[in-house]
Amino acid sequence: MGTTIDLKQPFDEKRIGKTHDILLVILVAFLAALFFYPVYFSIISAFKTQGEIMRDAMAFPSALRLDNFIYLWNETRFPQAVVMSAFLTVTSTCLMILVIPMAAYVIERRNSKLTGLIYIFFISGMMIPFQAYMIPLFRQLKWLHLFGTVWGPIVVYISGATAFGTLLFTSFIKGIPREIEESAAIDGCSSFNTFWQIVFPLLKPCTASMVILQGLGIWNDFLMPLLVLPSDQAKTINVEIYSFVSELATRWDVLFAGSFCSMIPIILIFGFLQKYFVKGITAGTVKG
Amino acid sequence: MAKKRRLISQVSYGMLLPAFLLYTGFVIVPALSSFYYSLTSWDGLSNMMPFIGLRNYMDMFHDIRFFTAVKNTMFIAIAATILENAVALGLALLVDRIKIFKSFFRSVFYIPVLLSGIITGFIWSVMMNYSFGVINQFFAMIHLDILRLNWLGDPKIALISILLTMIWKGAGYYMIIYLAGLQGIPQEILEASRIDGASGLQQFRFITFPMLAGAVTINMTLSLIGGLKVFDQVAVMTDGGPGFATETIAYQIFKVAFADSKQGYGTAVAVMLFAITLVFSAIQLALLRKREVEL
Repeated sequence: MGTTIDLKQPFDEKRIGKTHDILLVILVAFLAALFFYPVYFSIISAFKTQGEIMRDAMAFPSALRLDNFIYLWNETRFPQAVVMSAFLTVTSTCLMILVIPMAAYVIERRNSKLTGLIYIFFISGMMIPFQAYMIPLFRQLKWLHLFGTVWGPIVVYISGATAFGTLLFTSFIKGIPREIEESAAIDGCSSFNTFWQIVFPLLKPCTASMVILQGLGIWNDFLMPLLVLPSDQAKTINVEIYSFVSELATRWDVLFAGSFCSMIPIILIFGFLQKYFVKGITAGTVKG
Repeated sequence: MAKKRRLISQVSYGMLLPAFLLYTGFVIVPALSSFYYSLTSWDGLSNMMPFIGLRNYMDMFHDIRFFTAVKNTMFIAIAATILENAVALGLALLVDRIKIFKSFFRSVFYIPVLLSGIITGFIWSVMMNYSFGVINQFFAMIHLDILRLNWLGDPKIALISILLTMIWKGAGYYMIIYLAGLQGIPQEILEASRIDGASGLQQFRFITFPMLAGAVTINMTLSLIGGLKVFDQVAVMTDGGPGFATETIAYQIFKVAFADSKQGYGTAVAVMLFAITLVFSAIQLALLRKREVEL
């Protein structure tokens, strides 16, 4: 008796399940379209004239105009800003990778009372908002002659990434067996060489996540480059866009072209390296 | 074995030094010196830092502008924490259920996270423009003229407009963490409860949600800290205005210190931001941890 019901049920459920599935996909697609709309809007606006944006913001561009990009390239400091953003992003993330994984390695492998304290000391940095210490920081940068140079932001980015980086790398190193390092140590390999030659290559996925997430943060940063970079030359993309907003209040067309140049590279990188984004975000959080 | 342990524990402390020095020098030292700076009337330029005791704090507590910023920051932080998580969890549950295009939709919801605060703020400020923006155009099209608001010009609404932009930009990030949490829930438990006749809502209430406790804790903490220091959107969408109606603490620090050259006073406000962040996160962590244990 019971078996007949049990046999029937899956069939009914399957059919209900199917319509249910389709409705669900439609709902998700609708929400996704809603979420994507502002990005779509900014992309189409980059190819419109100021007049077109004001007259009918929803409309598709009348032609594939590149005037906004040409203006941006020829009449503003935008090209230099792109170079500056790229330079800051690449240099800072590379230097971070030279410094932070190595420190996390010591903390994880030494596993002493002292490293335990240092771990807490490092992690607590995640609780300190940048605005809370920027004023004394800038004065310090002035003393060290780093204020008004490209090295100012770079040093601050590396220091600021220590907290997150330590969290990310210690949790990853924990999962790596010690045996190889131990035999390397027996063979007389110094811990510095062991780390760079044996451990570091094993950290690749973690390093990729770190580079991507921190790189994104630096590419998108605004406040520090605005204040610290030399004032007589182009700053970063975001700073230039911000200053256009106040100076060229009505040139939305040019601003959308600038936004386009800032977001297209990161959306493309995201498309290719998605799994590292996901790994970086979820590392150390799920267990937490 | 004992010998091996000894060898491995000889990882040189020297390798820790560069990170330690940088972090101490450029995060901890300035963070601690903030307390001293906040007791001076430094203007940001001169070499003199006149010590004035607690006067900055007294001025601050008599300044209506400071309290407006505190109120705005708390409103944004609390509302963003709740709403970003609600949206993110909703999206995660939906995306987790669908069987096709899962990673495609996940990516679409994540795209806003990739954009900078300045750019998202700019895009939304154009969309929210009273006369030319798509939002008001849309409401006019569907004859809902009551909703054609002055999104950024009306002091009562402007803060909510900033909040909307933040939720749009942030939800995708927390969704990823919830999705990872959902994947950690064993299918057998859900299957068993279904056989026992649990409804979808009951499953969520008694299985899914409790098992996401860790993800909830981390997401709530991150979104709270993010909400407390919101800056970029305010800078580009309202510049703290109309008047000071949308000034947050982080933005006020910037304005006071760099537009008014009152860096001593600005640092005092910064110390308050630090204190508020600490107190809020401590309370929240205590509550969430307690909840995690109870569940």
